[in-house]
Amino acid sequence: MKIRGTVAAALASAGILLAGWQTGTQAGGISTVASSTTAAGTTGSTGTGSSGPGTSGSSGTAGTSGAAGPSSSSGTSGSSGSSGSSNSSAAGTYKGNTVQTRFGPVQVQITVANGKITDVTALQLTNTDGKSIQISNRAAPLLRSKVLAAQSANVQTVSGATITSDAYLTSLQAAIDAANL
Amino acid sequence: MQQTSDPQTATSTLKARTFQCMGTVIGLTMPVDSPEEGQPGFDELCAATAVVERLFRDLDETFSLYRPDSEASKLARGDLKLPQASAQMRERYAEAHEWRLRTEGAFTPERPDGVLDLSGIVKGHAIREAGTSLLALGRRDWCLNAGGDVLVSGSPHPERTQPWKAGVVDPADRRTLITGYPLGGNSRHAAIATSGSAERGEHIWRVGNGGEFVQVTVAAADIVTADVQATAIVAGGTRMLNRAADGWDVAVLAIRADGSMLATPGFQPS
Repeated sequence: MKIRGTVAAALASAGILLAGWQTGTQAGGISTVASSTTAAGTTGSTGTGSSGPGTSGSSGTAGTSGAAGPSSSSGTSGSSGSSGSSNSSAAGTYKGNTVQTRFGPVQVQITVANGKITDVTALQLTNTDGKSIQISNRAAPLLRSKVLAAQSANVQTVSGATITSDAYLTSLQAAIDAANL
Repeated sequence: MQQTSDPQTATSTLKARTFQCMGTVIGLTMPVDSPEEGQPGFDELCAATAVVERLFRDLDETFSLYRPDSEASKLARGDLKLPQASAQMRERYAEAHEWRLRTEGAFTPERPDGVLDLSGIVKGHAIREAGTSLLALGRRDWCLNAGGDVLVSGSPHPERTQPWKAGVVDPADRRTLITGYPLGGNSRHAAIATSGSAERGEHIWRVGNGGEFVQVTVAAADIVTADVQATAIVAGGTRMLNRAADGWDVAVLAIRADGSMLATPGFQPS
């Protein structure tokens, strides 16, 4: 469930990146559109450097693993090699641009094998506070045993379904209030 | 359930004042200090509680369906038509209807028999207004709990960013807590509300997957959103849960009758 949500978010971001890729192809003249899947696959990588040479920026990190193809295509600085290469050899992992979303900056990583996307992952980024950004708000099963006992310790207030004034007398909230009276 | 004493904050202690209204108990908790420290003293807590109580009582007089002479009762009986109702009655009706649209009917201000029932939004509204009043009074650090729906400001420890911590009741055993959630301070959310499928007074009408959850807790930046979404998810089941999680900045913990739980990342252990 959680994975599904993550993939959904990743695909949404990939969609945004696609726009960047389209402008990229126009500018750089790179046309690797072989099939629809690989088109999406090269999306992130070519999109990064679309605005010509010298604009490495964050895309400099894009190369990462994969690195199969020759990353020589002009204009696509730092973008993970794949772009110019043929479908068959376009294997590896590629990172896309960082996109601003409601949940903070999100970057998508795709894995390509045999010209097909085999995996899409949203990289967990950090914001300025150094806190992990949550990229999907989807609900997932929660095991009672997974909830740390510490999380319910030392509370100052209690949330529960509305209780009557009578039920309040025997409630946890009453005990907390009594301690603070 | 005693507070752990922290040597750094030994000068300020939490104090609470409670009163009964709207069929439940409302409590205001504030860190109280000696006046020379610049923190609110006990007198300020009592004064603040009096303001909150006045506000709750006024709203209860207008909106209670348990009072035959209230404006809400006159509307329910048909003695008064909505266009002739007071501005605040029409405002709450408009707000409730907006939520009905936004939740695709999972939250509604009307009972199946067509009687107008704004009780699902009035308590949240009262808490919201009380919070506004407390801030206007210059109170920065407080925790307001109205029958299990909570709005906080600031921190239990003045001058610090540590959030308040709200426990969530186990519906199977109300004497135990399932988990805790940070509110205020450096947390994204300041409000938390819990709805149950068998609770008093809240008229929850089920649509679609209703009945799936026996208790739903929602944390949000504001109390009305938290309260309405908790009610809507009890009524609308997983579909409404996903809709709420996708469309609003909320954290949700939903518990089924068999004790199994669904939680958005905010309620998942990190």
